[in-house]
Amino acid sequence: MIAMPDRTQAPQPGLSIKYQLPGIEKFILSSGIEIYSVKKDKLPVVFAELIVFSGSRYDGENKKGLSYLTSCLIDEGAGEYDSLQLSGEFEKLGSVFSISSDHDKTIFSIMSLKENFSRTLELLSKIIYKPRFEEKDFQREKKKVIDHILQLKDEPSFIASAAFEHLIFESTCYGYPEIGFSGDLENISNIDVRNFYGTNFLQSPASVVIVGNFNSSEIIERFENEFGNWNLSPERTIRFIQPGIREASYFMVHKENSPQSELRIGHLSKLRSAPDYIPARLMNAILGGQFSSRINLNLRENKGFTYGATSAFLYYRESAFFEISTAVNIENSGQAVKEILKEIDGIRYSISENEIYFAKSYLIKQFPSQFETYPQIAKNIESLLIHSLDLNQLSLYTGRIEAASADEIRRAALENIFPDKMTVLIAGDRIKIREQLKSALNAEPTEVDLYGNPV
Amino acid sequence: MTENILNIDYEKYVLANGLQVILYRDNPSPLVAVNLWYRVGSANEKPGKTGFAHLFEHMMFQGSQHIPKEGHFKYIQEAGGSLNGSTSIDRTNYYETLPANSLELAFWLESDRMGFLIPSLTPDKLDNQKSVVMNERRQRYENQPYGLSWEKLFSNLYTADHPYHWPTIGWMEDIEKFELDEVKDFFNTFYVPGNATLAVGGSFDLAKTKDLIEEYFGSIPCGKPVPEIASSAQSLETNKTIMYEDEVQLPRIYLAWHTVRAFDSADAALDLLASILSDSKNSRLHKSLVFDKQIAQDISAFQYAGRQAGAFIISSTAKPAVALDTIREEIFRELKNLVSEGIRPDELIRTKNNIKSTFIFSLQKLDLITDHLNHYNFYLDNPGSFLSDLERYEKTTAGEIMNAAKEFLFNPYVELQIIPKSR
Repeated sequence: MIAMPDRTQAPQPGLSIKYQLPGIEKFILSSGIEIYSVKKDKLPVVFAELIVFSGSRYDGENKKGLSYLTSCLIDEGAGEYDSLQLSGEFEKLGSVFSISSDHDKTIFSIMSLKENFSRTLELLSKIIYKPRFEEKDFQREKKKVIDHILQLKDEPSFIASAAFEHLIFESTCYGYPEIGFSGDLENISNIDVRNFYGTNFLQSPASVVIVGNFNSSEIIERFENEFGNWNLSPERTIRFIQPGIREASYFMVHKENSPQSELRIGHLSKLRSAPDYIPARLMNAILGGQFSSRINLNLRENKGFTYGATSAFLYYRESAFFEISTAVNIENSGQAVKEILKEIDGIRYSISENEIYFAKSYLIKQFPSQFETYPQIAKNIESLLIHSLDLNQLSLYTGRIEAASADEIRRAALENIFPDKMTVLIAGDRIKIREQLKSALNAEPTEVDLYGNPV
Repeated sequence: MTENILNIDYEKYVLANGLQVILYRDNPSPLVAVNLWYRVGSANEKPGKTGFAHLFEHMMFQGSQHIPKEGHFKYIQEAGGSLNGSTSIDRTNYYETLPANSLELAFWLESDRMGFLIPSLTPDKLDNQKSVVMNERRQRYENQPYGLSWEKLFSNLYTADHPYHWPTIGWMEDIEKFELDEVKDFFNTFYVPGNATLAVGGSFDLAKTKDLIEEYFGSIPCGKPVPEIASSAQSLETNKTIMYEDEVQLPRIYLAWHTVRAFDSADAALDLLASILSDSKNSRLHKSLVFDKQIAQDISAFQYAGRQAGAFIISSTAKPAVALDTIREEIFRELKNLVSEGIRPDELIRTKNNIKSTFIFSLQKLDLITDHLNHYNFYLDNPGSFLSDLERYEKTTAGEIMNAAKEFLFNPYVELQIIPKSR
């Protein structure tokens, strides 16, 4: 006889799970490159990434897009292989190779079957040390990037983010999209790319993360062979000067006849290494960091203005910003901004014990699920390396969340969210947005172009 | 090696009320994944009532008799889990991944909305989710460059009475009109245990889990049999060209041909064909249009198939000042080359090796495996078809791929041109 369950209340969880974080081993190659490795034996798969701390922040004056273009060109032929042959070598192995880059870094990722890892790594090494940078590949890829920039003018979320981030970071190295500007790209030559690669990229600090099924000593030897002579020079010292924080203000990018408006609201914020990172993260989980947080429940589940709304602290190596991001139907743009500003005020007035309990439970209990796939594990390590943080942050993480007091979390709202400093950017149809902001908030937005410059 | 890894050890059985259950244990994992497929998608809708399966999926997150509005998210997230649902042409799925000690929570939540949804439905909840879905439609389709191409293509490829004629998100004017009674009818018609399959993957005790499933789901009444989908055979007499002006900088062409259903005999050959045409730098269309001639910014080809029908689609964005006619001509030149010259062994090996790796890489994620058990169960009535699915590709010969190209890609097609708005 099967028992009838009590449907009136949630079942209690079973015995608590003892979760063991994957062990991370650290090795240092003779070149000084640090290798972090995590073993997972269940599948015959190895994932590795080489993180090079060179990104678009080193583009230089009138060369905006140089680092990104370089990242597109590195794998267009290496050593004895031309572009197509090189790609074919990876395809033969069934290995996945990709390059991604942003303002701070360029990452080379490989995922391969265990049996093909050695050969895959050899190809990566060839790419790093023997890139061809041929003129015909340069011309083709440069044109592709310029045409892509043209296409981005149609993407509402790109337009809103590009304009917003320029308003936040102004003329600093974080104040423009890493893909760059077509005007600058037109003037970039293949020699610029070669120079950037030789003098900037190859001399930048680098780290390696490996996750998967491998023999540690064998793999370290392989990396020593391939990357033992990396020419590690001290990082180029471009002094970063934080931009100022703007007083609350409204901006608008025109997008004709758009059925929705893209909203970005926020300001500069503290660095990732700030001592109140954990309380601020808990506070943001309550404000807008996940589905059940205040902003989404209000804008989506209560008002129906949007498909979803989130808030986040976003971290670069030398700066950071707080951003609320959503898309709402154009007729509710004004009300949506008003509701968001209300939530921003509200989080500073009160945070309940229930909300704190929920946010802690959410962040602590979901932690093991952040270490499921090999790339996920590598990303967790990578995100600490980028901010020069100790890897023991991973083992301390859940304890720190548990220990954060209600006072600290409430203080994190007061010390990280500033209603009188909010930059509000709306991308959408000019006439409607003006009407909306006027009637809901009596505000007059300044019109800017998609790169955030006044029109 | 591959054989062992892809041999997913599962158990399948059926409760008295018709609910199919698939259990897959993977004990070192600290997680469990619960994945429910309801055999209802946009293909079960009727003209004038499109988008209902998807809107209904949203209503399933609005609480049920014992769960408050937004309760699913709150309970699962508090327990450290993640959750979502999705609607396709053929089916709707709901899934959550949780720490292994919270499996029962998922059963409580899923069984409550399977058995006790109706008492909690209110007009306010429906109005709210209609607004959310209309904004989803604006955000994902209407306000995206090329965002409406899919629905323009399919509504021209399939006749008005065919279940793949309309988009899964639905037509805006249909979404606006849905009423609460229709939600109730839809639930009573399609959300019955006999029309659903519950897959559970990860770390759990087998006997105890079976008891819990019986407790939570066994008492839900089985309901009536689900109506069959009527679907007419599709073919085109002549080519059909549609032009649509959009907020885009570069024009894009889409070509679509009728092919075969998912898992039909030529389905794998068409997947491989798509891969040989556009999946890598060396693939034929990419090499020719993007790399060598540089007339296209991008190109992609794929076989898109469901239970009722399938289509082969090629889409390509023209470079500035390149006419779409040029792109189309070049695509056809490559297709003709392929069937006249044949497929080289190295092309075939590369493509197959990549498919094999993709199969193995996908085993890293428990919720993917669990969803795939349901996927194979739905299409093949055999949840453990991982290995035989891979073998479908490995056994396909170059000749079969060429035959598929000859058989389908030289028939009449639908051509959609998305062109920049004239100003």
